[in-house]
Amino acid sequence: MPVEIPKDKWTGKVREVSFGATAADGGTRSKSIVVGGDTTLPYMQFEAPTPHTPVIAVEIKSRRPEDWSTLLEETWGDAMNDPASWAKAAEAAGADALVLWLTLADTPEDAVKATKAVLAASALPLMVFGPGQVEKDNELLVAVSEAAKGEKLVLGICEDKNYRTIVATAMANGHLVSARTPMDVNLAKQLNILITDMGLPANRIIMDPTTGALGYGIEYGYSVMERLRLASLQGDGMTQFPMMVTVGFEAWKAKESKVGTGVPEAWGDWKARAIHWETLTTTALLESGASIVVLRHPESMKRIRAAINELMAA
Amino acid sequence: MNHTITFTTSDGKTVTASALTGTLVSDAAQQAGIEITQPCGGQGRCGRCAIQITGGNVRRRSTLRLSQEAVEQGYALACQSVIEGDASILVPEQEKIERNLTTDRVAAEVSVPSGYDINWSQTVRRVNVRMNEPSMDDQTDDWARLQTALRVQHKLETVEASISLLRRLGQVLRDGNWEVNVIYELKNLDNHSAAHIIDVRPSICDEDEPIYAAAIDIGTTTVSLWLVDLVTGQVKAQVAEYNDQIVRGEDVISRIIYASKHGGSDDLQHRVVGTINKLGETACKRLKTRPDQIVKAIIAGNSTMIHLLLGIPAASIRLAPFITAVNHPPLMAAREMGLHFCPDAVVDCLPGVASYVGADITAGVLSNGMDDTDEITLFIDVGTNGEIVLGNRDWLMTCACSAGPAFEGAGVKDGMRATTGAIEEVWINGDTYEPSIRVIGGSKPRGVCGSGLISLIAEMFLTGILDKAGNVNLSLPTKRVRATDQGGEYVIAWADETSHGHDIAITRVDVDNLLRAKAAIYAGFTILAEQVGMTLADVETMVIGGSFGKYVNVEKAMQIGLLPDMPWDKFKFLGNTSVKGAYFALVDTRQRERISEIASRMTYLELSADNTFYDAFTSALFLPHTDMDKFPTVAEALLSKEKR
Amino acid sequence: MALTGIEIFKLLPGGQRPPHPKANCKECGIPTCMAFAMKLAAKQVELAACPYVSEESKTKLAESSAPPIRLITLKGPGSSIKAGNEVCLFRHEKTFYNKPGLFVRVKASQANIAAEVAKADAYKVNYVGMDFTVDGFAVEADTLSGTSDPTKFADAVKAVRSATKRPLILVAKDAKVLEAGAAALPGETPLLYGADSANWEAMGDLAKKLNAPLAVCADNLDTLADLTDKLKGKGLEDFVIDPSSTKLGASIAKYTQIRRLALKNFRALGFPVISFACNAADEGIAAAQAIAKYAGFVVLDKFVPELLYGLLVLRENIYTDPQKPIQVTPGIYEINNPKPESPVLITTNFSITYFAVANEVEGSGLPAWLLVCDAEGMSVLTAWAAGKFDSERIAKAIKGFNVASKVSRKRVVLPGHVAVLSGELEAELPDWEIRVGPREAVDLPGYMKTALNN
Ligand code: SF4
Repeated sequence: MPVEIPKDKWTGKVREVSFGATAADGGTRSKSIVVGGDTTLPYMQFEAPTPHTPVIAVEIKSRRPEDWSTLLEETWGDAMNDPASWAKAAEAAGADALVLWLTLADTPEDAVKATKAVLAASALPLMVFGPGQVEKDNELLVAVSEAAKGEKLVLGICEDKNYRTIVATAMANGHLVSARTPMDVNLAKQLNILITDMGLPANRIIMDPTTGALGYGIEYGYSVMERLRLASLQGDGMTQFPMMVTVGFEAWKAKESKVGTGVPEAWGDWKARAIHWETLTTTALLESGASIVVLRHPESMKRIRAAINELMAA
Repeated sequence: MNHTITFTTSDGKTVTASALTGTLVSDAAQQAGIEITQPCGGQGRCGRCAIQITGGNVRRRSTLRLSQEAVEQGYALACQSVIEGDASILVPEQEKIERNLTTDRVAAEVSVPSGYDINWSQTVRRVNVRMNEPSMDDQTDDWARLQTALRVQHKLETVEASISLLRRLGQVLRDGNWEVNVIYELKNLDNHSAAHIIDVRPSICDEDEPIYAAAIDIGTTTVSLWLVDLVTGQVKAQVAEYNDQIVRGEDVISRIIYASKHGGSDDLQHRVVGTINKLGETACKRLKTRPDQIVKAIIAGNSTMIHLLLGIPAASIRLAPFITAVNHPPLMAAREMGLHFCPDAVVDCLPGVASYVGADITAGVLSNGMDDTDEITLFIDVGTNGEIVLGNRDWLMTCACSAGPAFEGAGVKDGMRATTGAIEEVWINGDTYEPSIRVIGGSKPRGVCGSGLISLIAEMFLTGILDKAGNVNLSLPTKRVRATDQGGEYVIAWADETSHGHDIAITRVDVDNLLRAKAAIYAGFTILAEQVGMTLADVETMVIGGSFGKYVNVEKAMQIGLLPDMPWDKFKFLGNTSVKGAYFALVDTRQRERISEIASRMTYLELSADNTFYDAFTSALFLPHTDMDKFPTVAEALLSKEKR
Repeated sequence: MALTGIEIFKLLPGGQRPPHPKANCKECGIPTCMAFAMKLAAKQVELAACPYVSEESKTKLAESSAPPIRLITLKGPGSSIKAGNEVCLFRHEKTFYNKPGLFVRVKASQANIAAEVAKADAYKVNYVGMDFTVDGFAVEADTLSGTSDPTKFADAVKAVRSATKRPLILVAKDAKVLEAGAAALPGETPLLYGADSANWEAMGDLAKKLNAPLAVCADNLDTLADLTDKLKGKGLEDFVIDPSSTKLGASIAKYTQIRRLALKNFRALGFPVISFACNAADEGIAAAQAIAKYAGFVVLDKFVPELLYGLLVLRENIYTDPQKPIQVTPGIYEINNPKPESPVLITTNFSITYFAVANEVEGSGLPAWLLVCDAEGMSVLTAWAAGKFDSERIAKAIKGFNVASKVSRKRVVLPGHVAVLSGELEAELPDWEIRVGPREAVDLPGYMKTALNN
C-alpha cells in the first residue's frame, strides 16, 4: 500500500547566523560557524536537508570554579586552573566552539585577560558570557567586547534588563548577542524585537530560550523551543533566530549529576547517571530545535557527537 | 487590659474611649463614633486611613505607603496599628470622596422602544375603582369590596395583596371616599385576569398622570438610577452617585471580605440602599414627585453588588471555585429591602451568569442586542473589572478579566478618578518630549485619570520615551525623563504647574500596572475567541460599554494594545449598557424575559483555570503586543514616525 | 479529525436553528450546551450525558471522536500498560496522554533469567513524590529470524513470569515459538512480536487465536500499512507498529510521519509504535528520542538503574500536562547562602511569582530564606482573593517546613499585597516578628537594604 508521506509546507525560515571571524573577516578564528537556515522542523530531512550541523560548544570558566562536580574536576583536571589550558583541552576533546563564562569575582581587566588568553590558546569561535548579574555583565562584557573587536564573538547574557548596553557594544564592535529569556515564547520574541529595534542586524542574534534540566523543568524549555521553531517556520520574523541552550550548566546543577553520596540507591551508578543526565537532556533539546548546545563533560560530548552524526545522516 | 484613648478630630472635637490591648485603632475609633475612611476596606493597602499619634504609642504592623518621615512624625495606619497603652490620636480631616453628581451624557438619547403601549408592553396597570360605601345593609369587608369592584369593573378575577397593604387599605378607601386609584402588576403579560396589588391611592386619577418606575444599575463605584414614566415609557430623569460602600473598600474583593466581618454585611447593605434612596429622592425632586410614587424597580449590577444589596453572603464568590449563592434572585418588595419607594413596589433584580459576570452584563447584552444578530459581536465593559462577551444569536461566551482598577486611576502613583483636576488627554512633542495636556475642569492638574493614562502611555510609546517593553528610555535629551530607584519616570507636569505643588509623573511601576491591566483585558479577548476557534479578525462589531467607552480615545487605546486594531466603523459606544438594559426590561416585559434567557444561554469561561491565559497575557504585555501583525495600523504609525 | 467546540455545539440542541426546546436545560450537569460542547471537545464529558442529541448528531460525533491512534492495552497478572489514544503532534497543543511503557529485554538463552528479572521487577524509584517502576519485560527468542526451540522459549517465558507479574512482550519471528511462549501466560494479554512480510499469515492466525495485539514490523511505511491492512482482513484490530529503524535520523522521521498520518485519520498506521532502543548504537539516546517522539513502547537492552531513572524522569516530564499552571514545589529555598539571621521572605508557588522574587533577591546579592507556600499555583493577589493564601496556610508552611530551626531571628516578610494578613498571622505565630514588605518584587532589594536593616 503506497503511503503518501505528509510533508509540511512552511513559508518561514530560521535566519542563518554566523559567528567567529577568520583572518579573511578581520578576526583570528580558524573558521566561522554557521547555524540556522532551517526550513523544516528539526531533522525532518525528508522535507528538506538540515542545512547546518548542530554545534557542540564547551563551557570553560575564567577561573577555576569552586562548585563544579568532582566528576568534572576529575576529567578536566589541572586544565581547569586557567582558561587558556582549559580551552586547549576542550578543543582536544572535540568542541566546535567555546563558551568562556566569566565570574562575579572578575574585574574588567581579568575578563579581558581571560578572553585574550582563550583567543590565543584556541582558534575556535568563541562566546563570552557574563556571570548573569546585570550590572556586572555590563561592566565585563563591554570591556571584553572592545578588547576583542572584530572577532565576532557571541556576547551573553543579554536580557531584557541590560539589552541596551550589550547590544550597543555588540553593534560597535562587530559581535553577536545571545538573547536570553526565561522559558517563555512571548518573552523570547519580545526581547528579539527590542534588540532589533535598536538596530542590531537580525543575523547577529542567537536566542537562548533557557531550559531546565531533566527533572527540573526540561518540559518547559522543550515546548518553548518547539513553539519558537514552529512560529519561525510559520513566518514570524521575530522568532526566526537559531537557538542555543546551556545544557551542561543546567544538567550539572541537578543533584542527580552533582553528587554521588547520600542519594537513593535506585539512582544507580553516579558517573554514568551524571553523563546520562547531560546527554538525555541534550538529546531532547536538539530534537526540539537547539542549534548550539553548551556542554561540560567530554563523555557527553562524544555521545552527542555520535547522535548528531546519525541525525544528520538521514 | 483597658487603655484610655483620646481622639482629637480636625475640627478640634475630643472624644475619649477605652480600648483593650490589641484593639485596632480603626476599631477603637469606630466605637468612639469617629469616622475614619478606609477605601481599601481596612487591608492596609491604600494608606488613606493615616492618623497621627500625638501621645503614647501604638504598634504599627505595617506602614505601607507612609514615608519614613511621616512615621517619625507619629503617623500610623489606623487599620494596621494596635493599641498597647494609653494614647492620644489626632484624626486628620477625612478625605472627602468627591460626590460630584453626574448626569449621564448619553441621557437625552434614550428613546422609548417603538410601539410602546403601557397596556401591551409591560405588566404594571393602573385603574380607577369606584365602590359603594358600606352600610348596615352592605357589610362586605373592605378587601372583598375592592376585589369585587376590580372583578366587575376591570375583569380582574384573582387579586392578591400583602398584609402591609391590607393594613392601610381601610384608611385609603375612606380617605378617597370609596373612589380610589389602584396600581397592580399582572402575573404575566398574557393573562390579564390575575394580579398583585402594588398600591391603592385615595383618589381617582387622570390617565396620563405618570406612573413612576426605576431602572437601577449598582456599580462597584457608581450607582445609576433612571426614573421612568410607565405611561409614556419615557426616561424622565437620570441620576448617578458614588456607591456609598466605597468607604468600605474600592473593589469587590475588599467588600466581600468586609461583608464577612461582624456587622459588615448589614453595614454594606445599608450603605447601598441609602445610596439608592438618595438617588430616588434626587430624581423625584426634579420631577416634583416623591419616591413613594415609584411602583417598580428593576436592578442590574455585578453579582457581588446584588448579593450585598440582598444581604446574601457573598464569600463564595471570592473563593475557588467561585460560586454565587443566587444567579436568579426572587422578586422582593421595596419595604423588605428598606427602599423608600412605594412599600409594595416590586423590586426585580436581574439574573447574572457567574460570580464575575453579573446582571450588569446580561442587561448589557440585551441593550446592545448582540444576542439577536448574526454578526459576531464582541462586547466589553471596562470598570473595576473587565467583563467580555463574545457571540451572536447562536451562542454567547463570556469571561471576566481581573484588570484591576488601573483604568479608574487607582494603583497608579498620580492616578485619580475622572473628576476636576484630572489630566484626561496628553500629547507629547516627538522632538522636544514636551507634553501638552487637557485637564477636566480646565484648572491646574492634580493627577491623571484613566483616559489620560491611556493617552499618556500611547504618546510616550510613539515618541520613544517608552520602548515596547515599557522601559523608560533614560538616554533622551530631556529633563522630563529621570531615574528613580524604581526605574525611570516621566514628568507630565512640574510642581509649579500643578494644583498641589508636587510633580505629576508616571513611573515605571505605574507603566507596568497599566500594561498588566491592558494585557489582562486583551488576553481575555484572545482567549474567548480562541476557545470558539476564531480570531479577533472574525469580530464584526465591537461594542464598548461603561463610562470607559464614553471618554476613551479609541485610537490611543489601540496604540497601547488595549483594544484590538480594527476599523473604527466596527466600534460602537453605548455608555452605561447595564442601566439601559434594566430600562428596556422595565418598559418591555418580553425583554425582561429575554434577559433571563440570555443569562441561561451565556457560557462562562473561568480564565484563571487556564494556562493558555498566561500565554495570551504575556504576549499582550508589550506595546502594543508581541505579535505586531495584529496591530497593522499601529505598526504603520510607528513607521511613519520613524521616517519623519 | 476532531471537531472543535463550536462545531460540536452546532450538533447539540442549543446550536440548532431554531433552538431545540431543551436547549441549555442543564440536565447534562453543565450550565449551557456551549459549555457542554467545549467539554466534549476536551473529552471531559461523555456525549451520553445529554439526553437530547439527535441520532444524526450522534453518528457525526461518534465518527469524529474515534481516537486516531488505537488504544492498546497489555495485561499481566499484576499490572497493565496502555499506549495510544494520542491526539497531537506537539505536547503544547494539548498533552500527551499515555506514557510509553519501558520494557526490559530478556534473551531466552541468557542465564539466571528469574534472578535478573526479579531485580528489575523490584526496582522502584521516587521522583517528586511519585514511585516509578519498570513497566514490563520483553522475552526474545534466541535467534530472532531463524527458528528456535519453542520449549526453550516457553521455559524462558515461564522463568520471567515466575519473577514478575508485569505485562510481557514476546519476541520471535516463528509463530510456533511465540505460541509456545504465550501458552505459558494464560489469561493475559501479551504483545506478540511480530509479523513481517514473510510470516504475517501465521502470526495473524496466532494473534487471532490468542486475541492478543500483534506487532507489525517493516522498514518502510508502505509495507507496514500493507501488513496492517491485510491483517485487518483476518479480523484483527489491535496492532503495534515497528518501523524498524535503529538510526536516529531515520527513526525521528518515520515516527513523526506515522504520528502525522495517524492524526490525519490514516487508519492503516493509526497504532502505537514500538521502539527497540536496545538495538541502537546509543540505547539511552535512542530511548530518549522514542519517549519524546511518539513511541508507545520502548524496549531497553538490560536493567541499568542509572539510565532507567533518567528515562523515567524524562518520560514524566514530557508527559506532564502543559496546560497546568507552572508551579514551584513549596518549601524553603536558600538564596545567596542565607545565615540564621537572614530574613524569611514569603511568596506563593506560582512559578512566575517565585521567579520574580527569587531573581530580584538573587540579583541583589542579599542573603535570604524564601518560603514558598502552597497557594495552588496562583500569584499572591489571585491566591489571596481566592482564599488560597491566608495566614493559616502561611503559618502551616512555616511550621511544616520547620523554618524556626533554620533561623535565629524569627522574622518573616509578607508580600505588601497581603498586608491585611499581618494581624491574623501575628495571632497564628505569636513568637514571630511579622513584617510587611513591598508589593512588587522589584522593590525587594531596596526594602531589604533599608527597612530590614534594623
Ligand atoms: S443536556 Fe446539556 S447539552 Fe443537552 S440540551 Fe441540556 S444543556 Fe444542552
